[in-house]
Amino acid sequence: MDWLPSIFRRRSLYKDLAEEMREHLEERTQQLEREGLSRKNAQRAARRAFGNHALLEERSREVWQWPTLESIWADVKYAQRQLRKSPGFTVTVILSLTLGLGANTTIFTLVNALLFVQPAVSDASSLVEVLLFNPKAAGLESHLSLSYPSYILFRDHNHTLSGFAAFDGDPHVVSWHNSGYGQMVHGQIVSGNFFSVIGVRPILGREFTADEDRAGTEHPAVVLSYAFWKNRLGGDSSAIGRTMILNGTGFTIVGVAPGNFNGVLIASHPDFWAPTAMAPMLMREPKLLSSGNTYWLFGVGRKKQDASKFQMKADLSVLAHTIPHRDPNEPMEVSLFPLQLVPTPLRGYVAAFTGMLMAAVGLVLLIACANAASLLLGRAIVRRRELAVRTALGASRSRIIRQTLTESLLLSLVGGALGLVLASLSIPLLLSLKPASLPFTFEVALDWRVYSFALALSLFAGIIFGIAPAMRSPRLELVSALKDETQIAGPRRSWLRDSIVVLQITVCLVLLISAGLCVRSLLNARSIDPGFITHDVVIAQLDPDSLGYTDSQKQAFYQHLLDRVRALPGVSSASLTSYLPLGTERIMQPVTVDGFTPPPSQEGFYIQTANVAPSYFAAMGISLLSGRDFTQSDIDPGVRPVVINQAMANQFWPKQNPVGRHFKVNKDTVEIVGLVPTGKYRNLSEDPTPFMYRPINIASRASLVVRSRPGAGSTLDEIRQIVFKLDPNVVPEDMESVSQYMALPLFAAHTTGVLLSAFGAVALLIATIGLSGVVSYSVSQRTNEIGVRMALGANRRTVLAQVLRQGMRLTVIGIAMGLALSFAVTRLLAGLLYGIKPGDLLTYLAVSLLLAAVAFVSCYFPAHRAASIDPMQALRAE
Amino acid sequence: MMILESLRRQPAHGYALVQHIQQRSNNLLQVEEGSLYPALQRLLKAKLVKAEWGVSSTNRRVRTYQITAIGLRHLEKEISSFERMFEGISLVLNPAETTNN
Repeated sequence: MDWLPSIFRRRSLYKDLAEEMREHLEERTQQLEREGLSRKNAQRAARRAFGNHALLEERSREVWQWPTLESIWADVKYAQRQLRKSPGFTVTVILSLTLGLGANTTIFTLVNALLFVQPAVSDASSLVEVLLFNPKAAGLESHLSLSYPSYILFRDHNHTLSGFAAFDGDPHVVSWHNSGYGQMVHGQIVSGNFFSVIGVRPILGREFTADEDRAGTEHPAVVLSYAFWKNRLGGDSSAIGRTMILNGTGFTIVGVAPGNFNGVLIASHPDFWAPTAMAPMLMREPKLLSSGNTYWLFGVGRKKQDASKFQMKADLSVLAHTIPHRDPNEPMEVSLFPLQLVPTPLRGYVAAFTGMLMAAVGLVLLIACANAASLLLGRAIVRRRELAVRTALGASRSRIIRQTLTESLLLSLVGGALGLVLASLSIPLLLSLKPASLPFTFEVALDWRVYSFALALSLFAGIIFGIAPAMRSPRLELVSALKDETQIAGPRRSWLRDSIVVLQITVCLVLLISAGLCVRSLLNARSIDPGFITHDVVIAQLDPDSLGYTDSQKQAFYQHLLDRVRALPGVSSASLTSYLPLGTERIMQPVTVDGFTPPPSQEGFYIQTANVAPSYFAAMGISLLSGRDFTQSDIDPGVRPVVINQAMANQFWPKQNPVGRHFKVNKDTVEIVGLVPTGKYRNLSEDPTPFMYRPINIASRASLVVRSRPGAGSTLDEIRQIVFKLDPNVVPEDMESVSQYMALPLFAAHTTGVLLSAFGAVALLIATIGLSGVVSYSVSQRTNEIGVRMALGANRRTVLAQVLRQGMRLTVIGIAMGLALSFAVTRLLAGLLYGIKPGDLLTYLAVSLLLAAVAFVSCYFPAHRAASIDPMQALRAE
Repeated sequence: MMILESLRRQPAHGYALVQHIQQRSNNLLQVEEGSLYPALQRLLKAKLVKAEWGVSSTNRRVRTYQITAIGLRHLEKEISSFERMFEGISLVLNPAETTNN
């Protein structure tokens, strides 16, 4: 390590050296004097014999230096001085780079959180995610979760796994009875061996025991998440052993998970984990554990040390073939994936979506780089003289290129650092695009991957935009540069800068058109008729079941609730439904109609069904085409009326009035009493789907739907109070207006629209700066020429027109190229667009005009300045 | 190598070294005197020589260089390899002489 002291010793080394050399000269001089020369001549002769004193001293010093490193440091210091000398240029470049790099860092942070962050388990590489695979189905439908019996089959009979656990992918909302009040908490169902298989040890207490996961166990137990324990129980270590009332049952807290463990699925941050034995009770599905047709568990296995993936697959496939299935001729297979926060079958979709965003921000960065490059080019010409002096003093070509590159790297690194700041500020904004009704907590953190990405991208950008100006700068005509000749003859413009501007306009147009299409598609999607009226409606989910209500108590509760809500002055109608359209839940029931044969191996046509209370149609704003609404008497068992939609009528009773006809649901005969128009039930882009409504009987979970009179304002608080007065333990979940609720199905379109518009705006801003920079620069270069022309009689109008023409010519070329490119690029967006074609002419036209207008304005100011040049002053400066 | 050889005979300061080398080579080697210094710095850095400030016989402050143990070893290696190379060159240049031997 002897370089370390040498840094500190260096100063004294240099001093010694200088003194030594001085002494040498002196000694030689005295020697020559003794030989008879005059002092002056002796000095001169001594110096001649010695050689170039300064150069030799420099060379001697260099022996002690790391020449490259130190000259780079010198370059950095020099670049810093240069940049500080022209703050306008520096700020412009850094600003556009900050925007470009910041946008990239933001999106990368998102990609990182979705695709690169690993679940906090021990030795993730030996864990596999096990799903059933139906080779006959397509896409996402081909992957199935496990049913509980198939999980047990795999767990007990495999030969290649040292442990096999399972978890429920959906979070469950459970009401927590906490000192007189109900609170909503999120739980995840896991197999009893879950924590030991994935290798996560509770920091407090223990994992589940085998007994706690035995069906019908007497010992309900939960493991709490660290955040829940810290925030809701005050981080009290005596919490272990205490009882929590969840959905009316007492659970013993047996452990607390470590702080960094939030489960093994993205965006689900459960408050607690409960064993599968408690699932039927928590999820209110008594037959859940014995049902072979309910696919709800993700399998996760730890492979035995010597088992290969191939052996595992063979082993588990054999077991999968024995799983009873609807069609015995199509046996189930298994698929094995590495355990990831986003399950592998979904990763492709996530990657496609984020990939599109990455491409968009990549274009923004390209524009920003183009901007920086064009400003640097302009500067290189202004700095001609400086570079020429350096070349004349012996700086080599590579040295000057290095100097220029240092400057651009310095700029890009500053931009990258500010971009990181920008990213950390914009990520919360990005996350706020997520509708509040999604029961997900999404954690997006800046980690080492993000930092390395930002650094690498900054360096890359610095080289990209620095290389062209750097390579160009040494190609100067030395003599004319030193003589400080201004270019008088004609518009000698740089084709490089021009093509950069054209490129910027092109890319900017592509981005703006994509953004325009997304915004228009969003507007379209908002205007799609979902089949109900979205304004003046609020909804709330209720779950009195969780409090151990008897059936008659539930009925009474709902009846009281409806009566009181309907009595509110602002309310025009109120009703209940088993679930809301366009949500995540669905119920299908088998229907048989005389004269129609159901599909093979099915007991009927599966039709989506909702159970609703009277006046549901009024509350949702669904008009009856014929027949009647349900009435209070329909709720009594025995009478089985049904209301169907137009699509169902078209399927079974085309061109007839279906009211009064009969068909069978689950072998019960029902009578059609009403017909309603077809709405949207799963998503906004679906084709007309048959749907039927049946009267609600004793609801367990239901959504309250309340329509207020127009202009009556929000009734949310009043409803909350009514529920509280009826029973303070019932918590209305997800109370919101339907327009809030509608944010969910529009989420992807909304996010894309907002992001692309933001990127488009940034791109437009940067490109405007670029264009106006190029035009101003060329005006400042041509001050003399314009002065001469005006002195010779050119009027201001001609000058103005000429400068404008120059800028607009580039704009038009850029727009033409951008239009061509957009036709190709926007095809990729087709999947995200609602009701608009990727080649929508109006969008293309409007965006082109907008860009042209902005370009015109950004050229106008420099052009105006050119036209106000005073010929006298311009010529005097010569 | 020449510097090391000179220093092996006796420690010296820069000026004296220049004088010595010029004399020994019968003024055949006319180099810029100053070019000695970068070379000396390299030797210093490689720890082949060490330097000390002192007072010369002519009563002036001088920095005297002295060859180190590493320097001696290095010099011996250099000389032997130089001699081999020199021998090789003479063999090529005067092939007759060697065959006659």
